[in-house]
Amino acid sequence: MKKLWILISREYAQVVKKKSFLIGIILTPLLMIGLTVLPALLATKKPAKTEHIAIIDLDNQRVGEKFAEAIKIYKLPSGNPSYEVSEIMKINPADSQELAAARQKLDSLIMNQDLKSYLIIGKNAALTDSVTLVSKSFSITTGSRFEKRLSDILSGQRLEKSNINLQIDSVLYLARRIDLRQEAPGGKERDFMTMYMGGIIFVMIIFMTVIGYGQILMRSVIEEKNSRVIEVMVSSVSSFQLMAGKIIGLGLASLTQVAVWIIIGLGIYSYRGALNVSADISSVIFNPVLIVFFVLFLIIGYILYSTLFALIGSLCNTDKEAQNYIFPITMSLILPMILAMYIIQEPDSAVSTTLSLIPFFTPTMMILRLNVISPESFSLGNPIIVQAIIGVILTTVTTVLVIWLAARIFRIGILMYGKRPTLPEIIKWVRY
Amino acid sequence: MQEYLRLEKIRKVYDSKVAVDDLSLSVPKGSIYGILGPNGAGKTTTIRMIMDIIAPDAGSVLVNGHHPDGNFRNRVGYLPEERGLYKKMTLIEVVTFLAEIKGCTRQEAHGRIDGWLEKMSLREYKNRKVEELSKGMQQKLQFITTLIHQPELIILDELFSGLDPLNIELIKDIILDEKRRGTTILFSTHVMEQAEKLCDFICLINHGQKVLDGRLSDIKAKFGKNSAQIEMDGDTSFVKEITDIEGVTEFPNYIELKLAKNANSHEILKKIADRVNIRRFQLMEPSLYDIFIEVARSGATYSVENREVNQ
Repeated sequence: MKKLWILISREYAQVVKKKSFLIGIILTPLLMIGLTVLPALLATKKPAKTEHIAIIDLDNQRVGEKFAEAIKIYKLPSGNPSYEVSEIMKINPADSQELAAARQKLDSLIMNQDLKSYLIIGKNAALTDSVTLVSKSFSITTGSRFEKRLSDILSGQRLEKSNINLQIDSVLYLARRIDLRQEAPGGKERDFMTMYMGGIIFVMIIFMTVIGYGQILMRSVIEEKNSRVIEVMVSSVSSFQLMAGKIIGLGLASLTQVAVWIIIGLGIYSYRGALNVSADISSVIFNPVLIVFFVLFLIIGYILYSTLFALIGSLCNTDKEAQNYIFPITMSLILPMILAMYIIQEPDSAVSTTLSLIPFFTPTMMILRLNVISPESFSLGNPIIVQAIIGVILTTVTTVLVIWLAARIFRIGILMYGKRPTLPEIIKWVRY
Repeated sequence: MQEYLRLEKIRKVYDSKVAVDDLSLSVPKGSIYGILGPNGAGKTTTIRMIMDIIAPDAGSVLVNGHHPDGNFRNRVGYLPEERGLYKKMTLIEVVTFLAEIKGCTRQEAHGRIDGWLEKMSLREYKNRKVEELSKGMQQKLQFITTLIHQPELIILDELFSGLDPLNIELIKDIILDEKRRGTTILFSTHVMEQAEKLCDFICLINHGQKVLDGRLSDIKAKFGKNSAQIEMDGDTSFVKEITDIEGVTEFPNYIELKLAKNANSHEILKKIADRVNIRRFQLMEPSLYDIFIEVARSGATYSVENREVNQ
């Protein structure tokens, strides 16, 4: 045990001392947020302060005024209106010069950030549906709100123009469309994008830890083979200790990294007001049931996959050779991300349930399902809890088997240089 | 002399190839014991089985008469044929680490390291990374890591390959110091001349089988001085008719005679001196190389009895 501890400390120190570790700690979450979470967050973000809007009305049938009135229903948490129409310019559609001048003026206002966006309501908008939103950045939420309000107004105009004798207001009232508010059981506000992002954050952390540290582990085995340090190592410790030391040492380094990320995440969470980040995601993530299973799956998943990486390292002489073997591992980790959209929409379907119980997929897919279903307690009455526990057991059993198999191949593989062994040879090693 | 290490009919088969074939040998305590044989004879496999890196298919390894326990590895210093250290670690880190996994405490390792670095003139590199050292320095460093934990058995696989002559002398001296302290040294090589200079005992193996073992001096005595070189003037054709001469090999400047067993070299010298003028007459000791060739060709197995070992 003392030797194992010495091996673990060396592996840990070798990784943590490197500059790349520090860079990875800071850069990876930034990259992750930058690539996946942030664009979606911004796109679905509701306005944080009143957005000023201008309207160019080429139609001259009071669509602008009606719109300005209609969007007053949207309020900020502070009670101030979300949108404010600062100007309605009525322009003769025949006068293209005046239109160009107006557009130029409003464009420069947007550039100076005095204006968020402006609408151009085309001639005969009710018949042609020609309405344009000009904006520097585009928010899905704002877009869909404007779309709904404008559709209602234009529908009203069409009704007016038709010869049907109806009470237009009451028809509009009857046909009115709503903005759906999405809530999880228990009353937490949550929409599809939030669930998707929450799940993706978990899967990304598992994915990056496993792939990142798995490859570090594999390279370190290949390097020890190439430099022949392995010869001295196996004369001092057993090959199993060597493998375990690497897996645990690098595992602790990866946990250090995840811990730092969580601290950064908590920091962002506590300053969420100032940073303007939607609180929804945090409320999804900070669910104790989810956290417990996440930590379990992260650890089991890491051990399962890093053992495979150690095995591959022991069979190969160069990184290049190893790339062929890595492919199936990478695929089995990427597949859950490809299927994430489906699993989030159908977390209880037979396909989702089955996939999430296949040991190599369990760590990522079960977390996706848990994130959507979001159980409030560990009650066994909830099928997802039972399934998650079965998942933990199956994955653990698989991991133990993989460790057993890998240890038998590893002890011979690390002393084989040159030719890459064939599959029948590897099978023979298992039986030695 | 007390026996330290004993191999009893150890055997290792890879696929269909027999790497080590029922090999038995006995290494006396405090001796320098050479395992000799051509490349691929099974030397490294034998060494790996001694250190329990791989398990023998049959047979057993006994240390001081017992099956070695889990701590045996801590008492062995192993210098592999293929050498290498952690390149990104500093000298002090790598020596301390390798000492610690051999069961030394950090204090013990730190206490010994300066003396070693001094001896190997590596002192000024103490805090440098291994990759900054020249190849020769890395070899010396690796030798330090082999001995830092004061092993009772040192296993040196092809020790001199890749070492420059100055370092060979330095390391030879250290090995002799270790022997004086009572350390047993197991030495494997395919270069017979090296073994001849260093070893007290040898075991010749070929195709995984022992062909010859025993005390080096006994082996040489057994194979005897069975050839002679003569430099002389005049016609040499008469020599092959002399009784007790079994063969003549002519070289440009001298001829080599193969003598029969129990030949009287004095009589032979006299008979030749009667006919021609002799400038040099020398009885040759067979080199280990010659012995190996002779034994390997004959296919027989010799064991030169050593009364002290086989009590």
